[in-house]
Amino acid sequence: MIHPNIVMIGVSTGGPIALRKLFSDLPPLNAAVIIVLHIPQGMDFRIAKGLDAVSSMPVTLAEDGEYLRERHVYLAPGGFHLMLEGNSRIILQEGPRINFVQPSVDVAMKSVIKPLKNAKIIGVILTGMGKDGASGIEHIKALGGITFAQDKESSAIYGMPKAAADTGAVDFECAPHKIRKKIAELLEGSGK
Amino acid sequence: METKVMIVDDNEYIRESVEILLQTEGIQIVSSASGNECLDQLETGFRGVLLMDIMMPIMDGWDTIRQIVKRGLYEGNIILMLTAKREPDEKMEGIQTYVTDYVTKPFNPMELLDMIKYYATILKNENPCHDSP
Repeated sequence: MIHPNIVMIGVSTGGPIALRKLFSDLPPLNAAVIIVLHIPQGMDFRIAKGLDAVSSMPVTLAEDGEYLRERHVYLAPGGFHLMLEGNSRIILQEGPRINFVQPSVDVAMKSVIKPLKNAKIIGVILTGMGKDGASGIEHIKALGGITFAQDKESSAIYGMPKAAADTGAVDFECAPHKIRKKIAELLEGSGK
Repeated sequence: METKVMIVDDNEYIRESVEILLQTEGIQIVSSASGNECLDQLETGFRGVLLMDIMMPIMDGWDTIRQIVKRGLYEGNIILMLTAKREPDEKMEGIQTYVTDYVTKPFNPMELLDMIKYYATILKNENPCHDSP
């Protein structure tokens, strides 16, 4: 199985608006985009549909056993932890809340493995309460990935981005529109 | 716009300001002066965007959300917190999943309207019959 480029985004409070800013005018990416938003069941499909309306890539709720495709956005459903199997397949599992939440960004990011060949791994932490995603972003950085955190000025809650930045594993701290531009540049011409 | 908004704030000036702002845009709005009033409105069928103050006497915004979840009244609503500060609040731990966004006071009327309209649109999205694993 060929590993796709992966963009994994962790976000919580203020997320729908931050994601709308990130995905508006974002061109289709040569990557599978996975969003882990702290969200209850029953709200997830609404957020996915709202994001699908502004995204150039289709946005769907991630399904258990689904294989990742590039140029596609997967939103983790509420009430399950999302993990990747071999960087290519989605696994959804019930289980205890991690960092008070389910789905947990840390669980999803820590399931990413070192990619084969030249596939890129990009980790992003956007606005949100708590520290979920901080150890996940360290993991992605340790794999050789590229990491982003939303800056304080543009964050509704500067909790998760600060916790991620405090690890020292964040490469870029900026607003969603700048993250969008940088990700597009990083993935330009890297499709298979 | 069919979606309703509920402003939950013990400050009468804030409630009236939000009422005037949204009514001018033709958005249906109801007011609650306390967490208990909010719960009563939800028990009698209100569903929509909740604009909830954090600092309220007797039952604050966090405890009101805990009651909303405990009583099974969350489904069909989106909760936005009204706060004077954007700093992380430890009392939010455990219920952040139910807090979709923050609105900082004093709020920019146009930004608040844009936010409410976006979340109202999201609330109207139908369930595409997603099957859980």
